[in-house]
Amino acid sequence: MSKVTRRGFLMGCSAAIAHMTGARLSYTAFGSQEQEPNQPILLTVFLRGGCDALSLLPPISGDDANYYHLARPDLSIPDSGVDAALPLNDKFGLHPAAVPLYDLYNAQKLAFVHAAGLKSDTRSHFDAMSYMELGTPGSKATTTGWLARHLRSLGADDGVVPALAADSLQPQSLQGFYDAIATQSASSFNLNVGYSYWRESHQASLRNLYSQSSSSMHLAGRQTLDAVQLFADQGVGNYVPVVDNYPNDSFSNKLKLIAQMIRLQVGLRAATIDLGGWDTHDGQANGGAPAAGYFASLVTSLAAGLAAFYNDLEAAGSEYTNRLTIVVMSEFGRRLRENNERGTDHGHGGMMMVLGGQVNGGHLYGPWPGLHTDQLYDRADLEVATDYRQVLSEILVRQMDNNKLGYIFPGYTSYAPLGIVQGADQPIDYSPSLNDVYLPMVIR
Amino acid sequence: MEKDPSVSSAVSRRHFLQGVGGATAGVAAAALVPTAEAAAAASNTKGTIPAFEINSAMPSIPSLAIIALNRIAFGPRPGDVAAFEALGNTDDERLATYVDQQLAYDPDLNADPEYKSRLEVFTPETTAKTLGQLWADHYRAEGVDYSVRTQPLREIERLAFLRAVYSKWQLVEVLADFWHNHFNIYAWTAPIQSIWPHYDRDVIRAHMLGNFREMIEAVAKSPEMLYYLDNESNTVNGPNENWARELFELHTLGAENYYGVISQDAVPVDSEGFPMGYVDEDVYEATRCFTGWTVSDRDSDELGDTGQFIYVEDNHDRFQKRVLNGTGNIPATNIPAYQAPLKDGMDVLDLVAYHPGTARYICRKLCRRLISDSPPESIVTSAAALFRAQKNAPDQLKQVVRHILLSAEFRTTWGFKIKRPFEVAVSALRATNGDMPFSLSHGDSNSFMYYFNPMGQQLFRWSTPDGYPDFQSPWQSAMSILMRWRLLGWLVEDRDVDDSYHVDILAQTPANIRTANGLADFWIERILNRPMDASTRQIIVDFMAQEAEGPDAELDFDNNRVKGRLRTMVALILQSPDFNWR
Repeated sequence: MSKVTRRGFLMGCSAAIAHMTGARLSYTAFGSQEQEPNQPILLTVFLRGGCDALSLLPPISGDDANYYHLARPDLSIPDSGVDAALPLNDKFGLHPAAVPLYDLYNAQKLAFVHAAGLKSDTRSHFDAMSYMELGTPGSKATTTGWLARHLRSLGADDGVVPALAADSLQPQSLQGFYDAIATQSASSFNLNVGYSYWRESHQASLRNLYSQSSSSMHLAGRQTLDAVQLFADQGVGNYVPVVDNYPNDSFSNKLKLIAQMIRLQVGLRAATIDLGGWDTHDGQANGGAPAAGYFASLVTSLAAGLAAFYNDLEAAGSEYTNRLTIVVMSEFGRRLRENNERGTDHGHGGMMMVLGGQVNGGHLYGPWPGLHTDQLYDRADLEVATDYRQVLSEILVRQMDNNKLGYIFPGYTSYAPLGIVQGADQPIDYSPSLNDVYLPMVIR
Repeated sequence: MEKDPSVSSAVSRRHFLQGVGGATAGVAAAALVPTAEAAAAASNTKGTIPAFEINSAMPSIPSLAIIALNRIAFGPRPGDVAAFEALGNTDDERLATYVDQQLAYDPDLNADPEYKSRLEVFTPETTAKTLGQLWADHYRAEGVDYSVRTQPLREIERLAFLRAVYSKWQLVEVLADFWHNHFNIYAWTAPIQSIWPHYDRDVIRAHMLGNFREMIEAVAKSPEMLYYLDNESNTVNGPNENWARELFELHTLGAENYYGVISQDAVPVDSEGFPMGYVDEDVYEATRCFTGWTVSDRDSDELGDTGQFIYVEDNHDRFQKRVLNGTGNIPATNIPAYQAPLKDGMDVLDLVAYHPGTARYICRKLCRRLISDSPPESIVTSAAALFRAQKNAPDQLKQVVRHILLSAEFRTTWGFKIKRPFEVAVSALRATNGDMPFSLSHGDSNSFMYYFNPMGQQLFRWSTPDGYPDFQSPWQSAMSILMRWRLLGWLVEDRDVDDSYHVDILAQTPANIRTANGLADFWIERILNRPMDASTRQIIVDFMAQEAEGPDAELDFDNNRVKGRLRTMVALILQSPDFNWR
């Protein structure tokens, strides 16, 4: 099977430069379905700010529901009546604004892991995000992100766009993977400034300049030129969904860019997307209507966007969704007790979502630690019962065909799948280093 | 008086996390949390995850003039390298003289004639106003529209460019950029946007060559920070820990000295009796100390509706507290009950400002800015020792900066940093002698901002309190690099609103240089002040020699295509990897 290799692509460029005629490179030759490797695709959605898992997945019965309502007189989601939680099982419900996700849950494409997250003792956004994204809880001395190490250990330099950060800056999880592209807007993603007459030889010379060395700056420049070429050739940013239920907001606009990249078949293996605004210290819900207001609007954006994205790709073909796993996480959950500004302060345990064609959906996974004061973390917050690395490890091994957990999550030595996704287990490689050393791409 | 509803919503923590990008927190890679678990995790990762730089080809170290002018200044203007070389007979002499000249900052505009004349063309209307005037004229006045409300911030933003490009006091501008990021505030919100000249002038610039303890107090009492980190609403009945947490985590001890959610008694104590770091309890207790520190923003306040800092005794938690007090220190609660007004908060500022962890953290950040993404520990240690020894000196920060800049570590590092977007834009204008009429009204100034903003470093617009990342990888995304290429191309290739060029490349090219070889060499030297390596230079020459009889053939400067090619060749040099190193 011939593959779109990054190396081959860059060599093609060198040939083009040799003529200085500015021969355009064609991706369409690589773009057919048969030729793309059947690589699995991992999309991570990060809810920045600390998502309140107890509003998203409230307890709806038993003692825990009582503790929950007592601690949150103004904020708890009702378990019956108007705006009641949508029941997921006999113990937990889903925020009523998340109807599109409820449909995916009932279609068994979506699973939740409650009381999941980072086990480190921190309530700092910046620490918690760094620990999670670097994949080394307790240490920010790590120089690369967990997703970067996943891609590096696959030797994943064989796509034109192997990784995409759909935001303006690259997240820490991708730090150290220089083949990742970070871009939010496609409309100005071109070099169309200056004289059009010299434009092509100018770009060819730029590529030559950035091919003189393998420093990180040179690598990043070549990556940029690849992306410019791709965007120009493929009309990136002018995406036509198969089924268009995307809301008109920035989260969904970014999702559309990811959907287009997947359907362009340019070797995408990982994508990241942020949805910010979850740091709800005040005004989390409307007075007298806990299921409405600010938090509900965030849930709406998340749920409608993710469902539109998934259903669009499924309509485009199950060959897309069957290769796709979407995982949603946040740096921490929030305190059980509401504060006196109708908000919640930084807490501990949160929740994760897993969505995809190979997900054993329609279930909640993970042990539940309980909401009695004695069961709380620091007697204040939901405890973390499931380490976020346990969820990610299962996805990496069973869906991403990567067993190098020792390298991706140093110090994490207890692979224990919860059964969230389908796929086979394999012997885990817990060695902390890669045997085949990843070499930065050089022109040869 | 009715409170402006945009005030209370604008200051909440959630709003800056829900802003652009929602906090893609770039946190420096060198931080270490000293817990046993973390140490184990770190030792697991160190050596097993190779840093990319190990395999990377680094550029060779240029002359000291180039290092100095790219790190103490925003890059050389024509003639700057020669002027530096004339400052003495040895590198030591030249560097010391240059640094001392820069540190002898004289705020009298007459000492900085080019900047003065350009400022007179700009004529900002708000930047000299006092806090009270800004508050009254741009925030509280009847019927102020959005443009008037934001005018103070927009003027400071353009002024930052004008100063960085044209002021002779380059080190002052480098440091202003550093401290604005260290005490970062998202300013594009009410009322901060209306009073921003006060923060820039009276808080950041007034103290950045002075004393750190005084600076942190000015920050703590600034209405801008009180709103941004919510201490304005921190009261005994409704504590808000936002300011106190960031005071420890980002402004003083740094996350590298955070021990997490453990008891104060579990923190080890150093030989001087300092607890080696802080824990959540310190944050909670410091929060209590700062209750009642707020802004006078109602007619009923003692100082009236003026925007001044005010202390409201009734909102203060009067009981005893314990902050950064190591096990064995007596009394255990080092902040007694019923202290005089403000004393609790002042005690906390003393405790954090004089803590050894603060000295290391601040000096590491300064070294990261002035030397390298991963500065050698030797210079961090010696700078931190000076920081502590001079803790009461009125010029403590000036002494520390001087120490860092005159160090061996400063002179022997190159290429472990790249320019961030602000430095790219400013240094390009300096290298090409660009004439950019920064002001709120001029069309070219607006076009410049149109190209600058997507590069990812809009001034005073980073939403989270950690400031823009000061290491390479976040700035090496395809978006960030492409947008810097676009700005650089626009700068030398496009015409102004009046149809002249922003940078007149042709007029700056000597009449006796007309061959591709000659033009390439002239402009490489002019922009980089050093040669490119042979194969890189050849790419520039080959570009210029297109449609010519060879690299030594005379080119016809009456031919528009040749003139266009020359401008694009200059863009290419600015867009090269070589222009990015610091």
